[in-house]
Amino acid sequence: MQREAAIREPLILGDKSYKDITDDVVGPIQGSAPIGWKIMITISSIIAVYGVGCILYLLGTGIGVWGLNKTVGWAWDITNFVWWVGIGHAGTLISAVLLLFRQKWRMAINRSAEAMTIFAVIMAAIFPGIHMGRIWVSYWVLPLPNQFGSLWVNFNSPLLWDVFAISTYFSVSLVFWYIGLIPDFATIRDRMTKPFAKKAYGLLSFGWSGRAKHWNRFEEVSLVLAGIATPLVFSVHSIVSMDFATSVIPGWHTTIFPPYFVSGAVFSGFAMVQTLLLIMRKGMKLESYIHVKHVEYMNIVIIVTGSIVGVAYLTELFISWYSGVEYESYAFINRFSGPYSWAYWIMMTCNVISPQLFWFKKIRRSLVATFALSIVVNIGMWFERYVIIVTSIHRDYDPSSWGEFHPTNIDIGVFVGTLGIFFTLFLGFARFFPVLALNELKTILKSSGENYKKAQDNH
Amino acid sequence: MANTKRYWSGLDELRETEAFKTIQGKEFPEAQSVDEFLTDERLESTHTGRRDFLKFMGFGLTAATLAACETPVIKSIPYTNKPEEVTPGVANHYASTYYDGHDFVNVLVKTREGRPIFVKSNTETGYGRVNARVNASVLSLYDEARLDGPRIGGEPSDWAKVDSVVSNVMQGEGRKVLLTNTVLSPSALRSIKQSGLEHIQYDAIDYGAFRASAEADFGVNSFPSYRLEEAETVVTIGADFLGSFADNVIYGERWAAMRKPEAGKMSRVHAFETNMSLTGSNADYRTMVKPSEQGRVATALLAQLSGQGSAGQLSDEATKAVVAAAKDLKRAGSKGLVMAGSNDLAMQQVVNAINAALGAVGSTVFYDTMTLFQGSSASLKQLTTDMKAGAVEVLVIADCNPVYDAPNASAFAEALEAMKHTVCTSMFADETAAICKVNAPTHHWLESWNDLQIEGDRIDLVQPTISPLHSTRMWAESLLRWSGKNQDWYTYLRSTHASDYTSDAMYTNADWNKAVHNGFIGVEVEPSQQVSFTGVGTAQAVSELNGRKGGAVEMALYQKTTMGAGQHAANPMLQETPDPLTKVTWDNYVTMAHSDVDAMGLNGFIGQEKPASLVKVTVGGSSMELPVFPMPGQTPGTIGIALGYGRGANGENIGKAAFQTGENGSFETNTDGNPVPVGQNVFPWANESGTFTDYAQYDVTVEATGGTYPLACTQIQNTFMGRESIVKETDFTSYFAERGAEKGKASWNELITLAVHEDVSGDGTIDAQDAKPTSAFDLWHEHPVEEVGHRWGMTIDLTTCTGCSACVTACHIENNVPVVGKDEVRRHRDMHWMRIDRFFASDYSLERGEEEGTSVIASYRKMEDPSANPQTVHMPMMCQHCNHAPCETVCPVAATTHSNEGLNQMTYNRCIGTRYCANNCPYKVRRFNWFNYPGYKKFANFNPAQDSLMRMVLNPDVTVRSRGVMEKCSMCVQRIQSGKLDAKKAGTPVPDGSVVTACAEACPTHAISFGDLNDKSAGVRAISENNRAYHALEEIGVKPNIFYMTKVRNVEPNKA
Repeated sequence: MQREAAIREPLILGDKSYKDITDDVVGPIQGSAPIGWKIMITISSIIAVYGVGCILYLLGTGIGVWGLNKTVGWAWDITNFVWWVGIGHAGTLISAVLLLFRQKWRMAINRSAEAMTIFAVIMAAIFPGIHMGRIWVSYWVLPLPNQFGSLWVNFNSPLLWDVFAISTYFSVSLVFWYIGLIPDFATIRDRMTKPFAKKAYGLLSFGWSGRAKHWNRFEEVSLVLAGIATPLVFSVHSIVSMDFATSVIPGWHTTIFPPYFVSGAVFSGFAMVQTLLLIMRKGMKLESYIHVKHVEYMNIVIIVTGSIVGVAYLTELFISWYSGVEYESYAFINRFSGPYSWAYWIMMTCNVISPQLFWFKKIRRSLVATFALSIVVNIGMWFERYVIIVTSIHRDYDPSSWGEFHPTNIDIGVFVGTLGIFFTLFLGFARFFPVLALNELKTILKSSGENYKKAQDNH
Repeated sequence: MANTKRYWSGLDELRETEAFKTIQGKEFPEAQSVDEFLTDERLESTHTGRRDFLKFMGFGLTAATLAACETPVIKSIPYTNKPEEVTPGVANHYASTYYDGHDFVNVLVKTREGRPIFVKSNTETGYGRVNARVNASVLSLYDEARLDGPRIGGEPSDWAKVDSVVSNVMQGEGRKVLLTNTVLSPSALRSIKQSGLEHIQYDAIDYGAFRASAEADFGVNSFPSYRLEEAETVVTIGADFLGSFADNVIYGERWAAMRKPEAGKMSRVHAFETNMSLTGSNADYRTMVKPSEQGRVATALLAQLSGQGSAGQLSDEATKAVVAAAKDLKRAGSKGLVMAGSNDLAMQQVVNAINAALGAVGSTVFYDTMTLFQGSSASLKQLTTDMKAGAVEVLVIADCNPVYDAPNASAFAEALEAMKHTVCTSMFADETAAICKVNAPTHHWLESWNDLQIEGDRIDLVQPTISPLHSTRMWAESLLRWSGKNQDWYTYLRSTHASDYTSDAMYTNADWNKAVHNGFIGVEVEPSQQVSFTGVGTAQAVSELNGRKGGAVEMALYQKTTMGAGQHAANPMLQETPDPLTKVTWDNYVTMAHSDVDAMGLNGFIGQEKPASLVKVTVGGSSMELPVFPMPGQTPGTIGIALGYGRGANGENIGKAAFQTGENGSFETNTDGNPVPVGQNVFPWANESGTFTDYAQYDVTVEATGGTYPLACTQIQNTFMGRESIVKETDFTSYFAERGAEKGKASWNELITLAVHEDVSGDGTIDAQDAKPTSAFDLWHEHPVEEVGHRWGMTIDLTTCTGCSACVTACHIENNVPVVGKDEVRRHRDMHWMRIDRFFASDYSLERGEEEGTSVIASYRKMEDPSANPQTVHMPMMCQHCNHAPCETVCPVAATTHSNEGLNQMTYNRCIGTRYCANNCPYKVRRFNWFNYPGYKKFANFNPAQDSLMRMVLNPDVTVRSRGVMEKCSMCVQRIQSGKLDAKKAGTPVPDGSVVTACAEACPTHAISFGDLNDKSAGVRAISENNRAYHALEEIGVKPNIFYMTKVRNVEPNKA
C-alpha cells in the first residue's frame, strides 16, 4: 500500500469505512428514485423527444430546414459536433492519462467523466450523420467491399479520417469504461435483493468473483487500455481539426489547429465535468468523495488549457498579420470586427479572460464560482467552434458570395435536443450505474481517507 | 330482312347427333360430385396434401405481396411508326423567329422527341442574338395556365360557336376595330386588310417620338437603325441599348464589335443617365443626371458641337462630362453616335440635330426600312375615348395586353368592360382577356407559322416546332374566318409570298423549303433613300428642353433585362434570374441613391434577415408602397422603378409563377382573396402629359412609411474589396502601350508570385525579391494534361461581358437547374450554376487608408461601400474546373473527381451531401439541393419540374437532381459527349466550335469562348495564350481551366 504525505489534503473526507463507500454508492441504486431526479429526467426527456422530433423533421424534409446556404455550408451542425467531441476528451484524459500518471484523485471522478465521454461522443456522432444530405447512404463512408463497381472511399478526405477517429475513440472509450464498471457491477449484484435486478447486474458483471486473478487481469487490461486511449486523447481532436486545417479557406487553413483543438477540447471537457459533478455530488450526497480538492485540481487543468487556447488565439491573429496574405489577414480582421464580431468577443471573454479568475485561490476553491465559470467556459467553447466555422466561410475569397448565416428553429431544436438526450442518458447513468469507481476508491481509503490520515497523525 | 345465318360449333351440332343432344346445355360433359372427387383414389398419389396446399398458398400470398411492393413502372410508349425526322435521343434544330412586340430575333429551336426545349440564336443567317427573355420564352409554351380552347363569357366553348358569334357581330353595323402591338407580318397585315377591321397599333413601351422626329427632321417615318459596330464614340442619354432599349438584341453584338483591344478597336461610350442601367455600367464614362436634365445634356452637346441653340443650366460635373463627350464626338466625327432613350419629341429632335451635325446620319445611324415600333399611344388614347362614347361596336384585341400595359389602362379597362362585343386572342386569360366577352386564344410562337419583316431585304419565318398543345388558332386565321374567308393560315401565308401557291406544292417547292430551313425569304428592296436633315423644329426643341423643370424628386421608369415589359411575368426562370445590377430576384422596387436612403433614414443594407424599407411613392395623386433598394449610381434626388411587374393584380390566371408564395409554398393572398402578384405595376405612372408616352416623371413624392419588406438578392457584397487577383482591369492607353508584352509580364496582368525562402534572384540574400510564380508550387504529383487527349477550357472576356444574363438563363434551361423561389433566394440558396458577379468600384482602398492614416479595419469597412457613381465589373462565375481542385480532395466518398479531359465531374449518385466540397471551393460555385425541389410542397407553384406540363421543357440529357446532393457547372458535359460521339461517327477529331456550352452559345457579345485547349487550332487556345488572360485567384494554385481576360476600359489612364 502506498503511503501519502500527511500534509496532503485527504481525498476521502469523513469517517468512512469500506462499507460506507459501498453504501454511499450502491444505496441510491437500491433505493427509490428521489423526487429531484424524477423532475430532472422528465424535463430532459421532454427536451430529448423534442430534439428527436426536430431531427426526424430534418431527415424527412431536407437540410434546408436548417439555416445553411450556398456560402455557409456548415454552421451549427459541425459546431455542435466539434463541441460534443471536445467535451468527451476530459473523460478519456482523466481515465487514461491520469491513470498512467497515477493521479489518485481521478478515482472519484473518472467513472462519471467516462460516462460523460461516452454520451458526448454519441451526441457528437449524431451530427456528421444528420448533416449529410443523404443519410440513408451514410454507410458509403465506410471502406466496405461493395457491388457499386470499383467504388472506394477517398483516403485523402479528412472527413474519412474523422470516421475512423471517432469510431475508434468511441469503441475504446466504451470498452475502457465497461471494464472499470465490472467489479462495481459485481458489488451491486451482491447487494441486490430483487431477483430481476440481481439477474441484470449479474449479467452486467460478467461473473466477476473478486478473485485475485480477476483483479490482476483487471489492472492489466486497464493499463493496456489506458495506453491505447492516451494517444486517442490527442489524435481524435487533431483529426477533427484537420477537417479545417487541410482546407484552402482562410481562417481554416492553419497549422496551429491540432494542438489548439486538443487543448480546447480538454478545456471544455473539464468544464463540463465540473458542471455535471457539482450537481451530482450534491444530489447524490457524495460530498465526501468529490470535494473542494478535486474541484481545485480540475480548475488548475482549466487554467492551463485555457491559457494554451488563449495563446493560440493570439498566435492566429499574429500570424494572419505576419503572413502578409491578404485573404488571411482579412479573415481575422473580419473575425473580430465584422458582422460576427459579437461571437468572437463572447469567445474571447469566456475562454481567455474568465478562466484566468482561477488564479485566485478563493475562486478556484469556490464551488459556486466554479459552477458558474464552468458553464461560461462551455458557452465560450461552443462559440469558438462557431467563430472558426461560420466567420471563416461567410466571407472567404470571392466577395460576391459573401453571405450570412441565421439559425432556424430547427438548428436550435436539434442542438437543444442533443443536450436533452445527453442529460437523459446521464441521469439514467446516475440512477442505475455506480457513479463512483467504488472498488478503486477503496484502494486509496487507507492512504488518503481523512480518518486514516488523522489516525496516522495521532499515531 | 331477317338474318338467316346460323353459326354452329361443330359437325355434331350441325347434324344434331344424339351425343350432342345429351350434352347440350351442360357445362361439363360428365357430371362429377365433390364427394366423388375427394374420394377419388388417384388423388392419394398426387402427394399434394393439406399441408402442402397451405404451404403453396402461403408462398403464393407472400409472392403476390412482394410483387405488389415493386416500384411503379412508368411506361413510355414507343412510336408505332417512327417519324422521318425524329430519332429518339437525337435533337433536331429548326430555324424560326421570335417576336413579341419588342424583341425580334432569328432563332434555332432545339427539339427532342418532338418537344421544343431550348432556343438559341441562329448565328448563320440570323438577325440579333437571344437575350435572357427570348431564351427563357420556351417555358411559356408549357404554361399550364394557357387557355385550352376558346371561351365565351368566361365559359369554355368551341370554335364553331365562337366563329358564328363573332362573324355575326362582324357583319353588323358600326365601327369595328382591331387593336394590336406593332404587326410585322405581311400575311397578318393582309388578313387585317381583308377583314375590313380598322387597325390600331400601340406598343407596350412607346417609341412614337422616334418615328415622329424622323418624320419631322428627315421626312421618313422610320425607326432609326443604330450601327454601333461603326461608332467610335457613343453618347447615350438614358438609352439602355445593352439592356432594354428598343432593338437591344442586336446592339450588344454590334457594340462588342468595336470593343476589341487586340485589334486596336475600342469605342468610347459616354453615358448620361438617371438610373444605373446595364449600358451605364458598361460605359467608359458615366454621368448621373436627373430626367429633367437629360434634355439639357442634349442641348449642351448640340451647342458644343455645332454652336446651334444655347446650353441650359447644368451642374458643373455634368457640364464637364458634356465637354469631354463633345470632344470625343468631334474627334470621331461621322463615326460618332448620340442616342437618347427618352420618348420625347423635343429630345429626339435635338439628338437628330446632333447626329446630323456630326455627319453620323448615313454612317452610324440610318433611317430606312426598320419596321419596329409603329405603335401610337395617341391613337390608343383616342380609341379609349371613342369606346367610352360608345362609338366602337366591336373591338378585337390581338397579341397584346392593353389593360395591363396601356398608358391609360384603367380608363381603357372601364370602357372595354362596358362594351358589348369584345374579342381577345390572348394565350392566357390575362388582364385583357379576362374582361373580354370572347376569348379566341392564339398559338404560342413555337406552335405557329408566321412571317415577319423587320428590315427591308428579308422576310423572316416562324415555323411550328410542335403541334398546338391546346385547341388554339393563330389570331390572323381567326380574323380570316370571321370575315368569311375559310382559309387555313398556312395556305394563306404561303399565298402571300406566291400568289400561285396551291397546297399540292407544299412539299415540292424547293425555294420555300430552303427558306424554312434558313429561316427567311430574301426579297428585293429599293435601295434605301438618302435622307437629309431639315432641322425645322430644332430651335423650339432646344428651348423646350432648356426650360424643363424638375421637382425635388424625379422618377425614371425602366425595364429590367429579365422582365422587359412584363410579357414573361409567369416565367419562373426569368423571375429567378437576378437583375444584372441590383442582383434582386422576384421583385421590383424603388432604386434610390445611398445618400437619399441615408437622409430618409431607410435601410441601407439589404441582407438575408435585413429587409428593405418601404416607402410610399406618390405620382400625380396615386400612390403605392414599394421597397427601397439602395443603388450605387442612382442620381441623387431621383428614383427608378422597373416596369413589367404586378401582372395579374386581380388574380387573373396568367401562370403560377407570377404570384408570390409564402414560406410553405402556398400563394399569398390579399384582402380580396386574390393571389398577390410579384412586384407592382407602375405602367399607370408613365408620363402622359405629351403626345407620346414618356417613362419619366419630373415631380414625385417619396415618404418613408416605417414598414419593411424582404428582398431576395443573390449578391449582397457590392465591392470586390481590392482583391485584384479576382478582377483585373486596365485602361486602353496602358493596354495599348504594352499590348505586345509577353503573357504575365504586362503591368496590368502580372503573374502572381509567392515569396520563397531561397535565393532565387541570386543576389546573395534572401529577401522580398526572391519569389517564384504560383505554378512552381505544387502539392500534388503532376498528371500530364497538356497535349494529352482533350482538355476542355473556357475563356471569358471581361471587356465585352455586359452582364446581360443571357448565359444565366441559357445555363438554367440547358441544365435543368431548379427554380427555388424568392424565400430560398433570400436565404442565399439560389441554385444557378452560372452567376454573374457584379462588382462596383469603391472610393476607398487600403492604399488610400494608409495615406489618410485610417486604420486597416476602418479602411476595410469603408471598402465595403461602393462609390456614389461607381465603375462596374460584370464577371461571369461558374465552376472553374480546377486541375487541382480543392473540392475533389475533401469528398469522403470520391463523388467529385477529375476527368482526364480536365473536367471537374460531379457524380450525383455517389454524393452523400456533406457539403465539404462547397465549403472548400474558393469560388463558391457549388450548389446543394437543400430540399427535394422536384417534389417538395414549398416549390410546387413555381418549379417547372413539379408542373405536369412544364416538366416537358426539361432537358432529357441532364439528370434532374434529387434532394441532398451537390451540383455545379458541368461545362455542359452532355454537349461534350454528343460532340465527341458525332466526331467519332464521322471518324474525325472533334472540330473546334462543334462543342459549345450553353453559356458560350447564348453570349450576345461573344465574350465567352469554349473549346479544347489541347487543340492547337482552337480559338479558345489562342485566347487563353493572350497576354490579357489570367486565372481568377491564381495564388491559391488550383489551376483552373477557365481563363478571364483583363477588362479594358477606354478611359484616360488617370481615371482607371
